[in-house]
Amino acid sequence: MSTSSSDSFFSRHEFLILRLHSLTGLFPVGAYMVVHLLTNASVLAGAPAFQRNVDAIHALGPVLPLVEWTFIFLPIIFHAVVGVMIVRSGRSNASRYNYAGNIRYTLQRATAWIALVFIAWHVFHMHGLIHNDYWMNNLAKPLYGGQFDAERATSSVALALAPLAARIAYAIGVGACVYHFANGLWTMGITWGLWQSAAAQRRANWLCGAIGLLVLAVAIGAWVGAIRVGEPENLKDAEAYELARSQQQKDFEEREARIKEELKPEQTNRAAARPTARARTVASEAAAP
Amino acid sequence: MQSTTNGHASPAGHAAAGTPLPDEFDVRILRQDAPDEASYWERHRVRREPDMNVISVLQRIAAQAKTVEGERVAPVAWDCNCLEEVCGACTMVVNGHVRQACTALVDRLLADNPDEIELRPMEKFPVVRDLVVNRRRLFRALEKLKTWIPVDGYYDAGPGPRVSQEAQQEAYPLSECMSCGCCLDACPQYQKIELARREGETDAEFAHREQEAFDTRFVGAHAISQVMLFNRHPTGALSAGERLDLLMEAGGIQDCGNAQNCVAVCPKKIPLTTSIGRAGRATVVRAISKWFGR
Repeated sequence: MSTSSSDSFFSRHEFLILRLHSLTGLFPVGAYMVVHLLTNASVLAGAPAFQRNVDAIHALGPVLPLVEWTFIFLPIIFHAVVGVMIVRSGRSNASRYNYAGNIRYTLQRATAWIALVFIAWHVFHMHGLIHNDYWMNNLAKPLYGGQFDAERATSSVALALAPLAARIAYAIGVGACVYHFANGLWTMGITWGLWQSAAAQRRANWLCGAIGLLVLAVAIGAWVGAIRVGEPENLKDAEAYELARSQQQKDFEEREARIKEELKPEQTNRAAARPTARARTVASEAAAP
Repeated sequence: MQSTTNGHASPAGHAAAGTPLPDEFDVRILRQDAPDEASYWERHRVRREPDMNVISVLQRIAAQAKTVEGERVAPVAWDCNCLEEVCGACTMVVNGHVRQACTALVDRLLADNPDEIELRPMEKFPVVRDLVVNRRRLFRALEKLKTWIPVDGYYDAGPGPRVSQEAQQEAYPLSECMSCGCCLDACPQYQKIELARREGETDAEFAHREQEAFDTRFVGAHAISQVMLFNRHPTGALSAGERLDLLMEAGGIQDCGNAQNCVAVCPKKIPLTTSIGRAGRATVVRAISKWFGR
């Protein structure tokens, strides 16, 4: 084979890059989306359930950004960049050859664009894209960005989804993502040779369709849940819960600070053996109601 | 235009019941005089005869060499050979769908659209003249992927291995491919490559440049299917790895977008998407075993 030096990096590693593109679509991007939607749908069980799930994610603390970049941002960016190249390499002819497969091919590319724009906006809408105070206060917030607050998970989501435009945007955006995921699952099975014969591909079609409908049901649950907690009464309940939670947290922090304060002079002045006993008494006093 | 049928070629079962076919019909042809020139539409009127196909329509048009407007024109150029849908030479776009002109029967076409028949050259290959296209890239893909069995030698290698009935049943449909190019013309991932000759460029230089362009772009469903045909043959399997390696180069199996138009338009009903699935698995296994193995 003649391989001239003008061959681009992409064309030299095309097979590997496109197989990785296919793989990242399922793992981690698709899998992450399903987990994300399941977490969101837990808002149907009320503000405490949803807040607990958010807390579980944020319990990762300083490791969270690392996990986010490794399993969410970088794979999505890779999938998107290679995806744009793929979409640009094709030219839909579904208007002339209107076979079901061809329409799905075209839809896969249309939903790819919608998902790309939606996800970029969604990260801005909820998280403001950049964690910088000046950016947040002067740019993101005035443009309805950075709406999500992990400490007030339920009410902040409810308020973010209060405008009709946001609700429509999420319905279209998430709908496109779910179609792209389910149809991508089916094409992935052909790409990796999991289903080969026409009959196997038909059966796989049902399987992927069912998975798609299930994920869609979860997505609708999350959407309805977010809108329902936005109803005045539910919103009040959620805010009350969040206020109580933050007061509880404040109380806990104050108590923790008090104990620390009481322990401090002992630790600095006395020998190592005694403060342990003293600390025990303080701790039991503090634990008493 | 709408009038009684002549009683002979009543296309029972094809025409909508009670819709008489016209005595004459128009044929709209997208013509092009030479490779570098602009294409233009031209309308011809043909008397309907019993059991016409698009080839016989083109013969009448060539004989008339006159447009609907009465203008004398050069006869429309087209390719044909076997006239029984096994050579692929007369492949063109009839009423928007790529197919062989020889099996495009006029009565059926008029039953679908009584007003006119529209003929265009294949859209993914450079036009030579009118409906004649240059399908060199299609054959280059087969050459690149070595879709043959290398049995040349100076001595008698003896009889080949036995092939099970089952394997023969699977291979036969793939062997029916006539390299017509329908799968490529309908494929949204297969784009036309038409290079213009540079000034002072020799034939050899141009051919080399063209081949480089062909070899980095999508090979197409027909070639992938042929790789699977020869890789499954017991003797052909001896060079299966080499073909898979070539199928993983730029423009290989990975460029497939799974639109599945290929299998829908294939006149031979070849299970092209099954071949694509098999090639997908085989290349992944090959890539992984090469990466971690030898």
